[in-house]
Amino acid sequence: MAGYQQRLKSFEDILEADVIDLKALKNLCFINGCPHERSFRSICWKILLNYVPVEKDHWQDDLRKQRNLYKQYIEEIIILPGKKMKSKESASGELVDHPLNPNPDSEWRETFRDNEMLLQIDKDCRRLCPDLSFFQQATDFPCEQLLNATSTVETLRKRVEHCVLQSETVSKNRLGITFNLVSKKRTHSEEYAVLPDGKEAHWEVVERILFLYAKLNPGISYVQGMNEILGPIYYTFASDPDQNYREFAEADSFFCFTQLMSEIRDFFIKTLDDSQFGIGSKMNQLMDMLKELDRPLWQRLQDQELRPQFYAFRWITLLLSQEFQLPGRLAQWPHSGASAQWPHSLTVLCVFIRLSLRHDLLKGDFPNNMKLVQRMESAIDLQQVLAKARELSRG
Amino acid sequence: MAKKTYDLLFKLLLIGDSGVGKTCLLFRFSDDAFNTTFISTIGIDFKIKTVELGGKKIKLQIWDTAGQERFHTITTSYYRGSMGIMLVYDITNIKTFDNISKWLRNIDEHANEDVEKMILGNKCDMDDKRQVPTARGDAIAREHNIPFLETSAKANINVEKAFMNLAQAILNKTPGRVSEPSGVNIGQQDTSSKRCC
Repeated sequence: MAGYQQRLKSFEDILEADVIDLKALKNLCFINGCPHERSFRSICWKILLNYVPVEKDHWQDDLRKQRNLYKQYIEEIIILPGKKMKSKESASGELVDHPLNPNPDSEWRETFRDNEMLLQIDKDCRRLCPDLSFFQQATDFPCEQLLNATSTVETLRKRVEHCVLQSETVSKNRLGITFNLVSKKRTHSEEYAVLPDGKEAHWEVVERILFLYAKLNPGISYVQGMNEILGPIYYTFASDPDQNYREFAEADSFFCFTQLMSEIRDFFIKTLDDSQFGIGSKMNQLMDMLKELDRPLWQRLQDQELRPQFYAFRWITLLLSQEFQLPGRLAQWPHSGASAQWPHSLTVLCVFIRLSLRHDLLKGDFPNNMKLVQRMESAIDLQQVLAKARELSRG
Repeated sequence: MAKKTYDLLFKLLLIGDSGVGKTCLLFRFSDDAFNTTFISTIGIDFKIKTVELGGKKIKLQIWDTAGQERFHTITTSYYRGSMGIMLVYDITNIKTFDNISKWLRNIDEHANEDVEKMILGNKCDMDDKRQVPTARGDAIAREHNIPFLETSAKANINVEKAFMNLAQAILNKTPGRVSEPSGVNIGQQDTSSKRCC
């Protein structure tokens, strides 16, 4: 206990300074992670992910600016188009643009594309961290802009309901026959009931963040798994002990997620898979490093054809976030991000995870080994792996 | 050499749009349980189940894939080694059915020519939300000469049957059915774990 108190004190000392010693903070965070108490974790992540500068007297100003900027994004990307859609719906007579407009500039085309993406995000957010009730619960800070505007704006929630309905209509037209469809709105699976109007579940906030990110970054858009990367960030910020931080969890998470993605986005882009920065070469690097450090183990994996695509693909794309359960992994995550060199530390970390499974991998057959690398949480001591990985990163 | 625990090894693959219930179907088959709270599959996942068919112990190695387009480069590399492919859509979501032809083209492009296929219309317990009539599933299956079943991982309808039928189809055309499997390395097989391997 005394050790823990000591640790808290170390954080306090670093965070109290007017200009934070970034190197010292990274060192402190790397192995044992950041404690949740007194908002240390949420503050540290904001600093480590470069969302706030090391000069503390800039924080207030910077945060206010960023949070306002986020409000603007919501206005431009959700509210304005939402109003347009709503008005188109009620407009009668001369329609310049309409859903069947074949013109590539038609706004409807974009709308349909967006809806497709939104439905994918929706599916994934509903099943985000299902073992944790947190994401199904209502947030204390739903988006005010949207709440005040619901009557004239098509919110993301309505849009999702809406496009599920549209697809039913299409199916009727195509065949030229009418199915005996129950014409009530398709409600979503009972397990994830949508909260009443005026309330929002945490997963809906995550959904909005991902939608905004996808709209602002059309080159990458939304890829399954981003929800898993954003999840821990949002969870940390939205359960911050300090209400002043909790209130802005959505905007803060958006920017921290954007920062983190800027370092790893290449892994998500299919066309880069085989390029120097893509996930393909990343996986090759992993194998090369392993070959150098432990040839017999490397040979074993080669012989068994246990390819990195089977497991390391997920480890890397998700920054190991699916391998360790919330909230336990939070203490560490994104520990290596602390070293500000995500891609490299991650490689090292993945190699060490395999090394720590060495004993079992050498004696297991293919199916057992597959199981091991796909569900390794119970098989390894993360603390120890991190310590070793750090040694290597330094050397 | 350790004692042989199976006679044949079949590699199966589950494909289809995201959210149609591939992982749930596999979980129902391998663990006889239903879980509504599956996270999305990223890349590829894997399960093993040993079944008995025609007096033979058959080890099914089943690969579960991610549905989103982005993962296709990763997942199509598994098509080649598969002996059977389950193509899954969701009867409550017409889009997933419309994409069946796209998935079939993928199979043609990447899988072995003689791969056994099966089309599954999943979530058939949710009849009140049905968007794809059984007849349409039947029609597309017949058009491509592929067996078809409607399944429910939740209500445990036709799941076992689907996997067993696919395995049977592969078994039927396995050359020299009585002979030893060739090229299957059972090396240091753990003979004590009877159920999963």
